[in-house]
Amino acid sequence: MKILIIEDEKGLANDMISYLSKERYLCEWAADYPSAIAKISSYAYDCILLDLMLPGGDGLSILAELKKQNKEEGLIIISAKNSLEDKVKGLRLGADDYLAKPFHLAELAARVESLIRRKQFDSNPLITYNEIEIDIQAKATKVKGEMIMLTKKEYELLLFFLGNKNRVLSKSALAEHLSGDFADMFENHDFVYAHIKNLKRKLKEKGSADYIKTIYGTGYRWEA
Amino acid sequence: MNKLLNKPFKAYTLFSLLILLISIPVYVLVVDQIWLRELDENNWLALEHLKKNINSRDYTDDDIANINEIWGELQPGFSIAKIKGPSLPQDSIYEVQRNNAFDGEDESDRFRGLRSSLILQGQAYQITIETNVEEADETLLAIALVTLLFFIVLIIGFILINRRLARKTWQPFYKTLVSLRNFDLSKDEALILDKSNIAEFQELNESLEQLVARNIKVYQQQKAFTENASHELQTPIALLKSKLDLLLQEKDLNPSLSTALNAIEAPLARLSRINKNLLLLAKVENQQYATKEEINLQAYLHSALSLFEDYINDKTLKVKLNLQENITLQAHSFLVETLVHNFLSNAIRHSVLGGELEIELSANTLWIRNSGKTSLDTKNLFERFASSSTEKVSSGLGLAIIKEVANTYHWQLNYQFSANQHVFTLCFD
Repeated sequence: MKILIIEDEKGLANDMISYLSKERYLCEWAADYPSAIAKISSYAYDCILLDLMLPGGDGLSILAELKKQNKEEGLIIISAKNSLEDKVKGLRLGADDYLAKPFHLAELAARVESLIRRKQFDSNPLITYNEIEIDIQAKATKVKGEMIMLTKKEYELLLFFLGNKNRVLSKSALAEHLSGDFADMFENHDFVYAHIKNLKRKLKEKGSADYIKTIYGTGYRWEA
Repeated sequence: MNKLLNKPFKAYTLFSLLILLISIPVYVLVVDQIWLRELDENNWLALEHLKKNINSRDYTDDDIANINEIWGELQPGFSIAKIKGPSLPQDSIYEVQRNNAFDGEDESDRFRGLRSSLILQGQAYQITIETNVEEADETLLAIALVTLLFFIVLIIGFILINRRLARKTWQPFYKTLVSLRNFDLSKDEALILDKSNIAEFQELNESLEQLVARNIKVYQQQKAFTENASHELQTPIALLKSKLDLLLQEKDLNPSLSTALNAIEAPLARLSRINKNLLLLAKVENQQYATKEEINLQAYLHSALSLFEDYINDKTLKVKLNLQENITLQAHSFLVETLVHNFLSNAIRHSVLGGELEIELSANTLWIRNSGKTSLDTKNLFERFASSSTEKVSSGLGLAIIKEVANTYHWQLNYQFSANQHVFTLCFD
């Protein structure tokens, strides 16, 4: 899987590359408008991460360029502007998702994963991990062929973990994934613990291995 | 408070009174002097006339005695009488008070007399001629009355002129005052004052316009600064967050290190929230959410409640809803969403464990009630960073954002604490 990261802030681009590369992703980086256009024209990617504020040109015109070239790459806008107009405009121009800075790398990874999955959706609507099988379309989860009933949040957590295997996920990253942008309005994210406890219990009941480990003081990790 | 125009009015009135009071004795003295001089002249003329004519006839002593008797009877104060001695006394003027024979009420009259002498056929006679003079006190009274009358006329004149001045001359001033009172810096409109043909007012208006123009400029710069600063801060905050995420992945994190990393999360989240809120405030102030659409408030409340469900459950809050159906507003969807989120997150955060959260919506009012222990400090409640709680997570901007959104749509926002409940009221009229 190839990902193009169009981001002028080198430090942030490096962090994204570092985090995503540990998955099966191969990352390339374009720091400005001309090099982004050059890369888009020459190669095909599975996913493009686009910062709207770029030296040498407006990020939104890269979207227009993609459309012009009839490219079908999935695209996620990552913007510091967090402006509604840009979001609406970007999505209208064909972006698949919008992620406002600052974000958790885990959230980015989950979004990338979800986007790539959606792109392959027609061929394969199933995610399988050992004895766990998830039907994205039906939002149904099976362990060893047996259905388990997950709440919406438990289901989202499970997908989030599967998109960030072997990663330590902090409570705040998990809370932000569940509650969106507004998680940072609250101090206490203890509810995450309750949801994870329930998810673990439900998986275990049907004979799944205990993949979710509690990392003392920091968060949780899905141990593959 | 005194009105400006009343100050000179008082001063003018007092000064006029003083001058008029001083003028009374002066007038009396002057009038009296003129009187006396005229009467002396009159007496002298009569005397000269008498001397001339009496000399041209040859009156005997008896004739003179007769004249004295008859004339003295007819004209009071006249006498001609023999005097002894070789030398004639000098002419003299005298004043005398006599009872008024005809008017009992008028106690006495003042008379001015001239005493002279002449020699008729070797005999010396003394002549006195008297004329009635107006008494000084009567003159005083008359002048005082006239002066008082004029004083009253003067005061009435002052009052009329004052009113006219207030109405006409000061009109531009009052117009300026109204404009200033209605001026709102956040509206981003320049202050435009009417031209005045009075130099002072024109100068005042020009100075005010310049002052306001400078302030608008500073205000705009400040707003631009806030927006730019928030934008600039987003990237380093994003970097911090991603670095922290990467650090958490390190294999050999010892417990003290992971506790330290974990402790960075909360302040970083707060920093991020403050920055987001500052940016949002700047955008609302810059009217970047000007478009309006029909908003179903009930739907926004429900979606926010389900979004915050976990936090409500965490605090085991009892939620009571009393929402009237189909309440619609004309507003920007993002602003309404922000308003609702801030209201609810605020209410949830400030609720006691196991407390109540009550939301009521009628056609023109939204009530958010949540149980609490003590009233919030109402003085600067809606000011930025005037956070009245010691909470670590608060951005100090939530209520300021609510206020700003309410201001944008001219909604009335109120807070009160009653029956152990924080009550926020938003009135849409």
